[in-house]
Amino acid sequence: MPKRTLSPKSAAISGKTYVIIPLYNKGGAIRAVLKDLAKDFDHIICINDGSTDDSAEQANQRKIIVIEHAFNLGQGAALQTGIDFALQDPEAQYFITFDADGQHDKKDALKMLAYIQAHPVDIVLGSRFLGTAKNSSTFKRLFLKVAITFTNKTTGLKLTDTHNGLRVFNRKVAEQLKLTMPDFAHASEIVQRIADMKFIYKELPVTIHYTDYSKAHGQSVFNSVNIVFDVLLNKVSGK
Amino acid sequence: MILIQLVLIAGFLILLIKFLLDPNSSQIRAWKKLIGLLFVPLAIIFVLFPNEANTVAHTVGVGRGADLLLYVLTLAFIFVCINLYMKSKQDQRRITELTRKLAILEAKISYKKSGK
Repeated sequence: MPKRTLSPKSAAISGKTYVIIPLYNKGGAIRAVLKDLAKDFDHIICINDGSTDDSAEQANQRKIIVIEHAFNLGQGAALQTGIDFALQDPEAQYFITFDADGQHDKKDALKMLAYIQAHPVDIVLGSRFLGTAKNSSTFKRLFLKVAITFTNKTTGLKLTDTHNGLRVFNRKVAEQLKLTMPDFAHASEIVQRIADMKFIYKELPVTIHYTDYSKAHGQSVFNSVNIVFDVLLNKVSGK
Repeated sequence: MILIQLVLIAGFLILLIKFLLDPNSSQIRAWKKLIGLLFVPLAIIFVLFPNEANTVAHTVGVGRGADLLLYVLTLAFIFVCINLYMKSKQDQRRITELTRKLAILEAKISYKKSGK
């Protein structure tokens, strides 16, 4: 029998892995993101969260499972839909969340996947402050630092980046995540869940590509006020 | 009886009748029903005897009955607003849950068909 050299693909994907991509009005970026991911991943779920542009058409590619929300519910809800769908596959072992706008690097996702497979951790989080952020504005950095400090204070964890869309986690985490905050506050909610459920976590440096596209379509800084309000309200109501 | 008293009393009575004839009233909590039922007679008493409102205001340290009314109204308004906000959040959560379930079901059916 000829000795088979392991391609990077088969080396990385030893457990059944699902990539979950929430998609909302990123028609200009999603096609390239999906094409790139499809080279390494066989199970890609794209949740079209009520996009009003051509996102749905752009995502409609071979191998890609597209789930349609009837209208926009928010990124947290889209992630949860993707997780729920993936969990229906009893063989699903690992779950990767990945942003639709092309700000993440596929190499980082593979690196994080390799890490979770080789180490006894439940969830691997990408951190742009351990890694390099390309073309990031100082204002955005400052805003994120505030968000991180806030999240660390409310959860008691020590993370360097709490609002990073690139995460890899195992089935246990996927089953217990149960995101209830529909919008961007889910990032804090995930960290909260890690603290509550005592998941073993690890942060790895990742590169963020702040392209013109992602900058133009990024999270509005003003929206952070809404997020803080919702997180505090949920704290008060004991959720 | 002056005209404004007639208008106010008629309004409160219509409110009471609507409240009692509401077919969904069984879903309203008992304490809310009680408050509603107590509110109408109390309101009518104050409409008929406006000076009594002044007496009540004086006993709690407010100058005029009309001022007391404003303060209580403000409090009630904020209370109702928060209540509605919570209710709308709850509805939002339910709609989210429904829409997500529907999306998953739909995807399940279409991808089973195409065998992807």
